[in-house]
Amino acid sequence: MRWFSRLYGSNPLHLLVTIACFAIAGYAANKLAAGGDVKGILIWLVGAVVGHDLILFPLYALADRSIMTVFRRRPPALPAVPWINHLRVPVVFSAILLLIWFPLIFRLPTQFQADHTTLPTSVYMGRWLAVTGALFLLSALALAVRLAVGGGRRRQDRAPSLVRSGQRARSGQHARSGQHARSGQYEDVASALGLTSGAPAADPHERLPRVDHPR
Amino acid sequence: MRPKPRTDGPLPGPFRESFWRSPIRGPWLTSVFGLVLLIGIPVMFATGLFSYAAYNPNLASVNDETPGKGLLGFYLFSWPTHPIWLYRLNQGTHVTLGLVLVPIVAFKLWSVLPKLFEWPPLHSLAHLLERISLLAVVGGIIFELATGILNIQTYYKFPQGGNFYALHFYGAWVFIGGFVMHVAIKFPAMVRALRSHSMWDVLRTNLARTRPEPLDAGGLVALRPDPPTISRRGMLAFAGGASALVGLLVVGQSLGGPFRKTALLAPHGQEMTGVNGASPDFQVNMTAEGAGVTAADAHASTWTLTLNTGVITGTGMPPGGTDTVSKVTTLTRADLLKMEQHTVSLPIACVEGWSTENQTWTGVRLADLAKMAGVPEPSSMLTRSLQKGGAFSRAVMSQAQAIDPDSLLALQANGADLTLDHGYPARVIVPDAPGVHNTKWVSSLTFRR
Repeated sequence: MRWFSRLYGSNPLHLLVTIACFAIAGYAANKLAAGGDVKGILIWLVGAVVGHDLILFPLYALADRSIMTVFRRRPPALPAVPWINHLRVPVVFSAILLLIWFPLIFRLPTQFQADHTTLPTSVYMGRWLAVTGALFLLSALALAVRLAVGGGRRRQDRAPSLVRSGQRARSGQHARSGQHARSGQYEDVASALGLTSGAPAADPHERLPRVDHPR
Repeated sequence: MRPKPRTDGPLPGPFRESFWRSPIRGPWLTSVFGLVLLIGIPVMFATGLFSYAAYNPNLASVNDETPGKGLLGFYLFSWPTHPIWLYRLNQGTHVTLGLVLVPIVAFKLWSVLPKLFEWPPLHSLAHLLERISLLAVVGGIIFELATGILNIQTYYKFPQGGNFYALHFYGAWVFIGGFVMHVAIKFPAMVRALRSHSMWDVLRTNLARTRPEPLDAGGLVALRPDPPTISRRGMLAFAGGASALVGLLVVGQSLGGPFRKTALLAPHGQEMTGVNGASPDFQVNMTAEGAGVTAADAHASTWTLTLNTGVITGTGMPPGGTDTVSKVTTLTRADLLKMEQHTVSLPIACVEGWSTENQTWTGVRLADLAKMAGVPEPSSMLTRSLQKGGAFSRAVMSQAQAIDPDSLLALQANGADLTLDHGYPARVIVPDAPGVHNTKWVSSLTFRR
């Protein structure tokens, strides 16, 4: 048993499950390939992973970090409530709708009306823009309400993202310090999460307590 | 899996652990998204398999878009005709749920992205196999979502000449192989992570009190987290909100009636205008123009319905056997109108997920036509359309479908003659059959002994 784990890297059950699942996937992949267009399918499969992980995600991350940086350099203009999500949410919602419906929005299926549905594709661009506009408007309204109602009061526990970058956690050593095991009692969790009354002001470098369960 | 030390490796950029800064990324958050998918994906898979069965692919080669399916058709059964809303519910669920899961898949992939750049990339044979299975899981889910999403928009830019059925069906089995393995390996870790923090506590934790999870062996939690800009409950609301938005803008095309207007971003979210531009008509997905059927082809003065009997000789169904057809009689539309007329209330439900509320159909029972042909209990029924070519110009119905009292050769819909786009002069309407099997512009019916 031990020699197996050392050689293979996991237990024998893992290997059995792996073989069974690979057999199913391989059988179906063989059928898929029998259609003849192996290259086309491989391009799609690998393209899906590359397109998401290596193109879409970096673009999203870059946009997110850029916007944070740009706004951080103008501290007087920053609202005292967490504002970035009022930008993120409508952008991401709108982008997901575009990702799903881009063929209709850009009127790509040319036979949609004549051969299939009798319905025009010309409405979709307008609808998507209208939904996008509504999302940004609602988000702006929500931010305005938060600023008016909670802006001053929340200044004390505002988002650490608005703290100057020099104060941010930079040291891995420091970050690890929160890793010590705790007993896992509810009081412990609640106090660390600041749920109990009179909890001390939260330290942004602290981590959630580890709750250990018997394996 | 062997725990590895959480330090930066030799490579730069995303291969460095400290490159990843999200303070909320971690096993708990990943496990919540994982749990949602663990519930949603089996429903997707099951409704997909049911839909495949609804075509009765084993009944005849014309029904079978994937003749090479082999063992993957092991579960096939004769598709029922009742309850009449079964296929409508099945497909509405399959398509709406698939769309609603798009944001969840995106958030789940975001939550595990550091694993893609794990370094060293392999530390055992078991780990190598797991990473190969992930290609089937990640590539597979995106492939399935993409083919489905393009298909419902009639944007057939698929590989393999655009044969959606083969791609989506075989692709689903490739994916599910990887998915089962992924679940088998990760399930215990998911349960552990979900138990590590109570959902209730997370929902009560605001941004200011949001902290990173303890460093994990799996490498999801950031070594050097940035200060949080969104709380965990905010992230859950973000993902759930995106899902809800997609769903709200699409589900109306499956609910029909007054809800159709709410489906702003859905292929069948617009009211269809009737011939006279009058009251809203019910939806179609293949126009006469698309089918190559002209008003002259379908004119009552020239159109006739041919009734045949068929005998399948040789081994099994075509293509194994041969269909020997002999003509019994031909009927004009006037002849059909003189027969006993029946009225049924049935929906049209498309494999693409949209459907109509129940429509009132009037016409002749298929069972009566079978009796007229001298085959009161046909083993199956082949329908041919005037349609020029195309995969669904022919369809075969099972005995249960052909002799169901609700199965009609419809001449009228909602009290008026069928319009050309709805299949004038006559169309088949069978409860719970996928829309494309309710053949329009019928030219002949062959009842097989």
